[in-house]
Amino acid sequence: MREDPRLRMPVMLLAALLLQTSVLARMRIFGVMPDFMLLLAVAGGITAGPIRGATLGFASGMLIDLFLPTPLGLSALVFTFVGYGVGVANTGVLRSAWYIPVLTAAAACIAGEILYALIGSVLGEPMLTAHLVTIALVVGVTNGVLAPVAVKLVSWSLGSLKSGAPLAS
Amino acid sequence: MAVYRKSRRHRFVLVLLALTSITVLTLDYRGAGDGALESVRRSARDAFAPVQSAADRVVSPVAGFFNTITHYGDLKSENAKLRRQLDEARADAIRGADADRERQGLLELQGLDYAGGLASVPARVVSNAPTNFQLTVTIDRGSDAKLAVGMPVVTNAGLVGRITSVSKLRSTVLLITDPSSNVGVRLATSGEQGVAKGAGGRQPLPLDLIDTTVPVPEGEPVVTSGLEKGLFPAQIPVGRVRSAKSAPGALQQDIEIDPSVDLVSLEFVRVLLWTPSP
Repeated sequence: MREDPRLRMPVMLLAALLLQTSVLARMRIFGVMPDFMLLLAVAGGITAGPIRGATLGFASGMLIDLFLPTPLGLSALVFTFVGYGVGVANTGVLRSAWYIPVLTAAAACIAGEILYALIGSVLGEPMLTAHLVTIALVVGVTNGVLAPVAVKLVSWSLGSLKSGAPLAS
Repeated sequence: MAVYRKSRRHRFVLVLLALTSITVLTLDYRGAGDGALESVRRSARDAFAPVQSAADRVVSPVAGFFNTITHYGDLKSENAKLRRQLDEARADAIRGADADRERQGLLELQGLDYAGGLASVPARVVSNAPTNFQLTVTIDRGSDAKLAVGMPVVTNAGLVGRITSVSKLRSTVLLITDPSSNVGVRLATSGEQGVAKGAGGRQPLPLDLIDTTVPVPEGEPVVTSGLEKGLFPAQIPVGRVRSAKSAPGALQQDIEIDPSVDLVSLEFVRVLLWTPSP
């Protein structure tokens, strides 16, 4: 019996959630951990264009929001925009040099953290502190390093859709 | 033409997803803790709790190893510091025993409640919240163990924070270093009262509202004030004064407190079964 390809996406999301909450939450540099769920949105944009990027960002953001003290939907909103933006700017970068996705992920994640802090502070969460600089930089670097892994994971989870319409729409 | 239609479809998906997020965000924000969305969130946390505990058991030795590598230098100097503090603590304990007996008597006379006499529930810290922005930790006890929002969380060394959300099996604790945390405190020797705020990260806590005329020696102990309608009971140690400066013309001193609890590597805590009076 073959695995159902439609199950790949939920399995991948749950595995990423486990990785984020159990492993990465303990591996902090200057008190900051990588943001793997944000990275999924970026990887979605890189591998499959703006729509998949935005959808994946929405799903991973909503999932992590369930475990955060911030209002539900904040990460979903930010990750949606990040996934979409990366998709628009970078469809097809996978075919270029290996470091392009890494740099794209680093830049997109820095932008994502800043956008998150901005929207968060509009909602009255005190996020625009000096610590934001450290957060953005550490997340940028660590997420850049993790980007190839995330790209592999995401393209595996989207693999089922390859047979139909071309991936990058 | 085709390109135009495609980019319109793109924008439609984006707007749809963004609007959904904003709707959820608004509903949750307005529901503030007791809406339907909060119960969805609570169920998700409880459902995920056993999986997470299993994963933690596998991962924590690895994470411990990672931390040992990145903090080796810190550990060495910390070890030396701890030895020194242990000596000091032994001496303090002898002095303290007598003072404690005296203070207990005074508290009883005045009918004040004291954290040491409160019932408490021990809990293990299962994880830091998976976020870089809030300083919270998750503990492995929830409403099944009679925990409720607002209860103070301590270790033997002092104040950790307070509970901000509870599900059946898990609770979230907002640390006193989080920028949204405010703790009413009292300087132990002068008795002056102020408010210790969180400053995020591993920053010391700034202490507001202390008059410039009050002498504040370095290392002075700071405890919760437990004023009426305060968020914490009285007399829980918060930390020690790291530095106190007063700029000319300022209305209050510029004081920083080092928390007495090591909030970065929490493992076991106690939740005091005490909620602030409304």
